[in-house]
Amino acid sequence: MTQETIVGLLVSVLEFGTLLYLAALGETIAEKAGVLNLGVEGMMAVGAMASFWIGAETGNPWLALLFAVVVTAAFSLIHGLASVVIGADQVVSGLALTILGLGLAAFFGQSLALTTVLSTARFSALDLGPLSDIPWIGETLFSIDALSWLALSLGAVTWFVLTRTRMGLSLRAVGESAATADAAGTKVAATRLTAVAIGGGFAGAAGTYLSLVLSPGWSEGATGGLGWIAVALVIFGAWKPGRVLFGSLLFGGLIALGPRLQTFRCQDGEDIACLNFDADPTLVSMLPYILTVIVLIILSVRSRNRPSIAPAAIGLAYRREER
Amino acid sequence: MFGYRLARRDKPLPGGQFLAFAIGLAVALVAGAILLVATGFNPIEIYIEMADSAFGGSQAISNTLTQAVPLGLAGLAVAVAGSMGLWNIGAEGQIIAGAIAGTWIARLGPDLPGPLLIVIMLVAAVVGGGLLALGPAIAKAHLGVNEIITTLMLNEIALRLVRYLVNGPWQDPTAIGFPVAPVLPEQAALPTLFSRANVGVIIAAIVLVIFGVFASRSKWGFELRVAGSSAQAAEYVGISLRAKIMTVLILSGAIAGLAGGIRLTSSDRIVEGIAEGWGFAGIIVAALALMRPSGVALVAIAFGALRVGGTAIQTQGVSDSISEIIQALVLMGALAAAVFTAYEITRSGSGTGVPTGAESISGSAEASAEATP
Amino acid sequence: MTAVELEGIWKRFPGVIANAGASLSVRSGTVHAVLGENGAGKTTLMNVLAGVYAADDGTVRLDGVEHQFANPAAAIAAGVGMVYQEFRLIPTFTVAENVALGAAPTIVAKGSIEKQVAELADRFGLATEPGRQIWQLSMGERQRVEILKALWRDANVLILDEPTAVLTPAEAQELGRITKTMSSEGRSIIFISHKLDEVKAFCDEATVLRGGKTVASSLSVTDLDAGRMAELMVGEATAVSQRRVRTTAVGNTALSVENAKVVDVHGRAVVDGVSLTVGAGEIVGIAGVAGNGQRPLADALAGLTALEAGTVTVDGTDLTTSSPRDRNAAGLAYVPEDRLGVGLAPRMDAVENAMMRNYTTLGNGFFIDRNAASNQAESLIERYQIKVGKLDAPLAGLSGGNLQRLLVGRELDGDPKVLIAAQPTRGLDVQGVAAIQKILVEQAAAGVGILLISEDLEELFALSDRLLVMHEGMISNDFDPDTATRQAVGAAMTGA
Repeated sequence: MTQETIVGLLVSVLEFGTLLYLAALGETIAEKAGVLNLGVEGMMAVGAMASFWIGAETGNPWLALLFAVVVTAAFSLIHGLASVVIGADQVVSGLALTILGLGLAAFFGQSLALTTVLSTARFSALDLGPLSDIPWIGETLFSIDALSWLALSLGAVTWFVLTRTRMGLSLRAVGESAATADAAGTKVAATRLTAVAIGGGFAGAAGTYLSLVLSPGWSEGATGGLGWIAVALVIFGAWKPGRVLFGSLLFGGLIALGPRLQTFRCQDGEDIACLNFDADPTLVSMLPYILTVIVLIILSVRSRNRPSIAPAAIGLAYRREER
Repeated sequence: MFGYRLARRDKPLPGGQFLAFAIGLAVALVAGAILLVATGFNPIEIYIEMADSAFGGSQAISNTLTQAVPLGLAGLAVAVAGSMGLWNIGAEGQIIAGAIAGTWIARLGPDLPGPLLIVIMLVAAVVGGGLLALGPAIAKAHLGVNEIITTLMLNEIALRLVRYLVNGPWQDPTAIGFPVAPVLPEQAALPTLFSRANVGVIIAAIVLVIFGVFASRSKWGFELRVAGSSAQAAEYVGISLRAKIMTVLILSGAIAGLAGGIRLTSSDRIVEGIAEGWGFAGIIVAALALMRPSGVALVAIAFGALRVGGTAIQTQGVSDSISEIIQALVLMGALAAAVFTAYEITRSGSGTGVPTGAESISGSAEASAEATP
Repeated sequence: MTAVELEGIWKRFPGVIANAGASLSVRSGTVHAVLGENGAGKTTLMNVLAGVYAADDGTVRLDGVEHQFANPAAAIAAGVGMVYQEFRLIPTFTVAENVALGAAPTIVAKGSIEKQVAELADRFGLATEPGRQIWQLSMGERQRVEILKALWRDANVLILDEPTAVLTPAEAQELGRITKTMSSEGRSIIFISHKLDEVKAFCDEATVLRGGKTVASSLSVTDLDAGRMAELMVGEATAVSQRRVRTTAVGNTALSVENAKVVDVHGRAVVDGVSLTVGAGEIVGIAGVAGNGQRPLADALAGLTALEAGTVTVDGTDLTTSSPRDRNAAGLAYVPEDRLGVGLAPRMDAVENAMMRNYTTLGNGFFIDRNAASNQAESLIERYQIKVGKLDAPLAGLSGGNLQRLLVGRELDGDPKVLIAAQPTRGLDVQGVAAIQKILVEQAAAGVGILLISEDLEELFALSDRLLVMHEGMISNDFDPDTATRQAVGAAMTGA
């Protein structure tokens, strides 16, 4: 294995990590407010289709991003209205959002014949001057694109808002006990809808990253289960932006590693590191889900003698005068 | 205080759920029509073509029923768990597990006589689906681990397992690099019933009827409903929740596994997309049917028709995803409509809420007036 | 100066009118008691004042200014703070976070908020640790956090909904002192209660609600005595529960509990070495402040939780390791504290709830005989005069009295030898209480041994043959209700 392949792997890890982090961060915000949104896969598809369309039309990646974020946030509010305002079961409504989103993305994708166009809109690496010339780090961390930096800063902002601001306190309170937050003067429905919409916007950004950076283009089924990994990541990261970042890089690493396993097999000569065992890429791609189940079991067992780390009101509808 | 607000009706509107479904369907069809118009199609022509391909003639009906089989079984799988308040989101994966198990049997005994092979394949599919639900069942019953997430994760794991199999160990050597398994022995195909429908329709119907009767009439079904209504009440009367969670989740997985087995014996081989979203659609079917087996059958036929129609209109250049869009919108529309069967809009503060004397003020007041929620 | 004026408040819920033109007037700087039976509409009226419920009709005035609260936030902004009976605190948040919730600075610096909360607590003498999480605190501490929440928002009107229900007598005294401090600062406190001694000790004036209407307003508490208060609350001068006259002798031991020990999830002993016996035809009462192990004891006797140590015997049969179903079959009936949710399944109908104990015997094999099931339900309904709308409607809409009659009736239907009744009359109206007490007395006369767990001392004194007191998981005293004084039992309840 050469430096080149390792750098290629690391770049790919950062790319998948960025995509997963954007989506998982959005889902974390929604879940922290007490709304489980199983619509991530569908939202991401809508975002990917929307951004690719605008990207192809205008050639401007930022415009594409903006459009995808707005459209996906609006789209996510279908789930918000159903589960928060109407009080429908969050599981059902979220899954319906996934089916609807995949369907809409495929429908418009075909109608707009997106599979046949090329988009010139790309997010390119930020020019960090001499930093990019540092060996290893320069070619990887300091060569990432603007969206990756955006994802990182959004993570920091999310952490700060959730833990250090009045808004975050209210949002978490709504996710722990809506009745309590309501009695304390927090607007429960508005807070939850906002959280869902923000989550949707983040998923739209993740979709943009998919169709304009990671695998430029649009095709039906492009999301390929990445949305479900994002849902898993929230649990794996125990609803904490920092741990979700770690999880995103870990899971992104596993995804990036899969197709490269073959190239990392030991060969003669110049290799500086190599694998001398057979690992099937498909089986490796199961690991994120298996790890998530393990973490979920650990969290469940640990919360036996103390309140769970999961937002307590997740999945529960709230209507003030209902009794 | 003088705005409008929702108040729960004293009694839900009669036939509310059916009404909600009808409204949901209408909303979805209108929304679908808007999409079609926006993309340059004539929605009336498209809808007529869809209806004709789904119900016009015995071949159309056979296609619809064939699609309704996995939808109905997946819906039943979700409904069985749902009637106890559990969510099996893993039907998709359990369908795959069932198909894998069935294929495994066919590979072991390719020379077995047809009926025997089919029966063993279906039994294996049932076991396979149940096995995939075993982990979530144990985790839920004994450790309290949320079954929604574990079953969801197992979908992705099962999907990757079948991908691994058809790309690796089970790859058809004659298919030169294509990720498909070898075709099944000829005698492993379910016998035809009429036109394109096979015996799978009968099997699904029998399973649905059995569970319909069991859910409403049997002691087992009663215990399920007690546990679904209140876990504490179930423990109070001595129903073992752990045992119920185990049996119900495994049974749910087994039913979905059967759907996978029937799909397998209705096609010529296992492919990566064997589950085709049926498991997820089953969740919507069960939700629309309010977790009742009788309702599951009706909704499954309606959704089966949508799928057949969606495939048929592809020839006109319309994406078949219109059928998924309509399915999801039916649910969303029904959810919204259900609100108005259970709630009414009242103007607060205008004095209209003041009673006319029909209700007694004392007597029954303590139940809801001061009991804490 | 009038701090709060509620006039002609109407509030209606499906099937129930909670407030029917209720009114309330509270002077500034006073502690004002709102009295009434359960179901009189006190909590509903307070929820209207706190912006939780939108009234159907009526006006709310604070300091003479009319308000229409769209939500709790609006009421809070207008200076109304409410301490709910079931605390509205987030278990995983710290004290400081709970206090500041909804009224925090834009940027929350943990240290400074905790310091400010500590200062506020000191000013009013409310002992608390701002950095601890709520789930680690006692009930009394949690209530202080609730009061701090209101003070943090500078509430001018503080509503306390049955604040002493979860407190020890010492904590209740402390609360009285705190309310005095606050009222002396010019704040108004509304104190919901149905305990006369508290009202006389802590409050200045009292308003009495009955059936959703105000029947007496702004009485001076000095004019209030037990008879007058009961008359206002109940509507007619009813005698306080009559002492039961036992007509039969106590028979053989029906229930025998020896050295029962129950531990909670933290491994703490919540029932610690309880031994007791109940004879056939005997009513043994258990008194105690809530949370002293009564509920875990009842649940363990019924088999819902396992005993860590000790034995349970019913009519000579050792049931220590039996399942709830086997215990019931052996003659142990249980009316649990949570009648809807434990004793009855809210989303199931009357027929299904009525057969919950014996469905295994209705019909043969796998299936339930539905005719037998409805006949059984109908006979229960007739025998115990239960008002259910339709047989196949979910129970959730029934009143507490009817639910309890159904539950008690079902439990007695199997001719049990022992009945454990936990808080059987709590939250019922007068007729409901009388009906349930009558059933208990009749059953004792018919030879059922009854273990009556109650927080209502009057009820225990009226019905019990022997009166045990439970304190910190142990039976601390064994009184004869005919000779013991309320004071002595009350003292034992507090561990004196």
